[in-house]
Amino acid sequence: MKAVILAAGEGTRLRPFTATEPKVMIPVANKPILEYVVEALVENGINEIVMVVGYRRHRIMSYFGDGAEFGADIEYVKQRKQPPSGGTAHALYQAKNKIDEEFLVLPGDNVISKETVHDLLENMNEHSLLITKSDTPSKYGVVTLKDGGKQIEYLIEKPEKSPSHLISTGIYSFSPEIFDKIEEVMQENHYDLPSVIQKILKEKEIKAVRTEETWIDAVYPWDLLHVNSAALMDISKKINGSIEENVIIKGDVKIGKGTRIRGGSFIEGPVIIGEGCDIGPNACILPSSSIDDNTKIAPFTVIQNSVIMKGVSIGPNSNLQDSVLGEGVRTGTNFSTFSDCSRVEADNGLHQVKKIGVMVAEDTHIGSCVTLEPGVIVGKDCEIRSGRTIRENLRTGEKAV
Amino acid sequence: MCGIVGYTGTKDVREVILKGLKRLEYRGYDSAGIAVRTDEGIYIQKKKGRIDDLSREEVPKRSAGIGHTRWATHGKPSDENAHPFLDCSNELSIVHNGIIDNFNAIKDELVEKGHEFSSETDSEVIVHLLEENYEGDLLTALKKTIRRIQGSYAVVAVQKDSDELVVARNQSPLVIGVGSQEHFVASDVPALLDHTKDVKYLQDGDIARLSKEKVEIWDEKEDLVERETKNIKWDVEDAEKSGYEHFMLKEIYEQPQAIHESILGRLTSFEDIDLSKYDFQEVQFIACGTSAHAGYVGRYIFEKLAEIPCTVEVSSEYRYTSPSDSTPFTILFSQSGETLDTIAAAREAKRRGCNTLAVTNVMDSSITREVDEVVYTQAGPEIGVAATKTFTTQVIIIYLLAIELGLRKGVLNKNKAERYKDELRRLPRKVERILDDKDKIEAMTERLAKARDVFFVGRNINYPVALEGALKLKEIAYVHAAGYPAGEMKHGPFALLTKDTPVIALAIKDHTFEKMLGNIGEIAARDSPVMVIGDEDKEVKKLSDYAYFIPETLPIFSPLLVNVVLQLIAYFTAYRLGQDIDKPRNLAKSVTVE
Repeated sequence: MKAVILAAGEGTRLRPFTATEPKVMIPVANKPILEYVVEALVENGINEIVMVVGYRRHRIMSYFGDGAEFGADIEYVKQRKQPPSGGTAHALYQAKNKIDEEFLVLPGDNVISKETVHDLLENMNEHSLLITKSDTPSKYGVVTLKDGGKQIEYLIEKPEKSPSHLISTGIYSFSPEIFDKIEEVMQENHYDLPSVIQKILKEKEIKAVRTEETWIDAVYPWDLLHVNSAALMDISKKINGSIEENVIIKGDVKIGKGTRIRGGSFIEGPVIIGEGCDIGPNACILPSSSIDDNTKIAPFTVIQNSVIMKGVSIGPNSNLQDSVLGEGVRTGTNFSTFSDCSRVEADNGLHQVKKIGVMVAEDTHIGSCVTLEPGVIVGKDCEIRSGRTIRENLRTGEKAV
Repeated sequence: MCGIVGYTGTKDVREVILKGLKRLEYRGYDSAGIAVRTDEGIYIQKKKGRIDDLSREEVPKRSAGIGHTRWATHGKPSDENAHPFLDCSNELSIVHNGIIDNFNAIKDELVEKGHEFSSETDSEVIVHLLEENYEGDLLTALKKTIRRIQGSYAVVAVQKDSDELVVARNQSPLVIGVGSQEHFVASDVPALLDHTKDVKYLQDGDIARLSKEKVEIWDEKEDLVERETKNIKWDVEDAEKSGYEHFMLKEIYEQPQAIHESILGRLTSFEDIDLSKYDFQEVQFIACGTSAHAGYVGRYIFEKLAEIPCTVEVSSEYRYTSPSDSTPFTILFSQSGETLDTIAAAREAKRRGCNTLAVTNVMDSSITREVDEVVYTQAGPEIGVAATKTFTTQVIIIYLLAIELGLRKGVLNKNKAERYKDELRRLPRKVERILDDKDKIEAMTERLAKARDVFFVGRNINYPVALEGALKLKEIAYVHAAGYPAGEMKHGPFALLTKDTPVIALAIKDHTFEKMLGNIGEIAARDSPVMVIGDEDKEVKKLSDYAYFIPETLPIFSPLLVNVVLQLIAYFTAYRLGQDIDKPRNLAKSVTVE
């Protein structure tokens, strides 16, 4: 059986972190989200994978290659022009020539596990949709069921008032017949899968398969924190780098090749630290933090429940809590954040977030003694001069001097 | 990077295995070996070197056997460390890919029990453990063995008494090829495609037994399972290029990772060579082609960061220079380590009393035997004839050496060194950002594809990059190109400038920028189309017909980024012209003649 992974979109609600790479390539516990999907398939014996790529596709292709490294055969198809809104059906349609029997469709931007896919494989019919529970259903496609919960009744995208707490995971099984249906729907100028589903439901049944296994979606930048901490639950202790004297390492901590942890540092898992990093001396890395390759953390700096992407450099005596730093962010000394319940401005709206530090996108340069207040989002390539306190979001390339 | 092939069936075992291994050659390797079952015991042959170096001794044809290619990344390639491995009684043999985490503990235990080890590898413990667990049934022994080992593995084992193979997989790829009256196993599909297109993928925790007649697979719970047989529709070449049209493009895109690998572990301490052993009063770089350009860039880097006076020689000309009293520390670059001119130059330098260092991409290649020290670029195999990622990583090694030497000499203070190291850490991402702009860069090649001659001009540290850009365009696009110091244009080449002669100018905001702007103005005044690659600037935009601005970096690191742009320019120009990009006419990947 083949699987089609939809990986062509940008994931605009995660901006500014999708400025140079698609949402599927954003790292969670130092691994792109898409890799979790590929692994879940391979672990279920599904090796033939068709990836629909579009936005920044070379990032995906150069990472996954032919798939051999991941135990898969990956073929790529390109979605050249995306229709204006929600083009999931259009994206899937690009894979038409590669499919001649029943197959799976999965979004590439949710963290899932082997068991998630297994649940569908065990229970599926010709057309099935994997559904799960959500506390915030109105962010997703909400489903209602019929026939004692065995069949999908209807599917509505992001309703204001949600009729149920069951949502679509976006993971389907289909027969190749789906492509005829997509053609029909596209002729009516609809390009999203939910429209196709409505069409099918008029004539046929779609089986509802429930799962309670891992299915985590990062919609907004702050969601990266809980996705990350959930993924870190699965890591196990493995230390490859060099550890100097008087370093204390507790719990499940994974440290990559070529990384040096300097004397007096304290690390408490779950924590993952990538390759080629330079940490300490006397740095303190606290639970649920992911630190990606080639990052430098200077002495006396404390990191807690944060996601730090590749090539970041954090100056001495800094404090980072509940925060996300994009690739290549640089800070001077005494960079300070704190975590609080805050209203965050994103995607043209205000969102109440319970515990949040700051979110800084790639290549932003922060001077010394800078404080960012909770909930601030800083775009890519910004410059914040020393001594500033930032209370409001900065747009890409903005300078706070 | 290692390759595995196993076979049981009626064909010539040795031929099937060697051919399969050759299909995996593109992944690179430095040693190869094969083990075939015979009635007298396991026949084994393994060697550091090429697959073709394995001799053609007769071995039984209707039989079973395993083969392996190894690419050492750390530790030495040698006959002993090559796979397959034998147990103490020559009755069992295995090949292995992956890493055994707990091999030390197991090894100690086995040594105590009297097992004799012939190598330093973690893999060898598997075969001795197998021997320990063997009570007449190889499959049972393998099951016991993998319960004991932790880590990643793809293992294939063969025994003296039967034509069966047993295999196990965990986090390391392994695929079974299904034939009629024969079965195959390999680490990767291309090794099988000459014989069968029907394959079964094993999953983590799977164990399988292969005989001529059948394949049986058990999952991690040891239940007999059926793994679907899949029909492979693509061909070998496609597989090797992972979706890219050419190796060259693939290798251009591999550069962020190659930079990452080459700085890995070397930034916190550079331990590849003990620098205190040598005198660095003077340095000379010797190399050919693209590697020589890395040497020219190296000269600027060494002079700036370590204040060491340098000279650069082309390998084939070095011997004609007259030896003087000075014996500069000599750094030789060769991707393959087999470039005959450079090897000869290494001998000559030694004869003149110089200490020598080779920077190469291939572990234990010929040049490594001619020099005092070796540093590996860790770029991974490069297949395209046009050097791309190896140039980039050669230059990275130069930065690392220069920073170390600067610190040692006290001409570079620690803060500055840290700043340079931080920038090195950021380079992979900056290259990535250039690759993101490939469409923009492709757009500017329309004009180049129509040109008969193209000039590349640069100043200071980007002058050698102009030479390299011109070389790339010549070698793969077959467009005549010349690299010049920008200031030299008016001493001759100006006579050739017309509206049909594009000039690519490299303009970086170092102390030469104002002069470069002047040069660009002069060229534009001759009606030549000017394309500028460099740092963002309004004036440049005004003066040029086309400008591409690289991500901001310190001027000393600009050659690396500018060069990636020039690689893409050469690639897309060649592509437009329909040239055979990976195998340009009359050229070979490693030049082993003088």
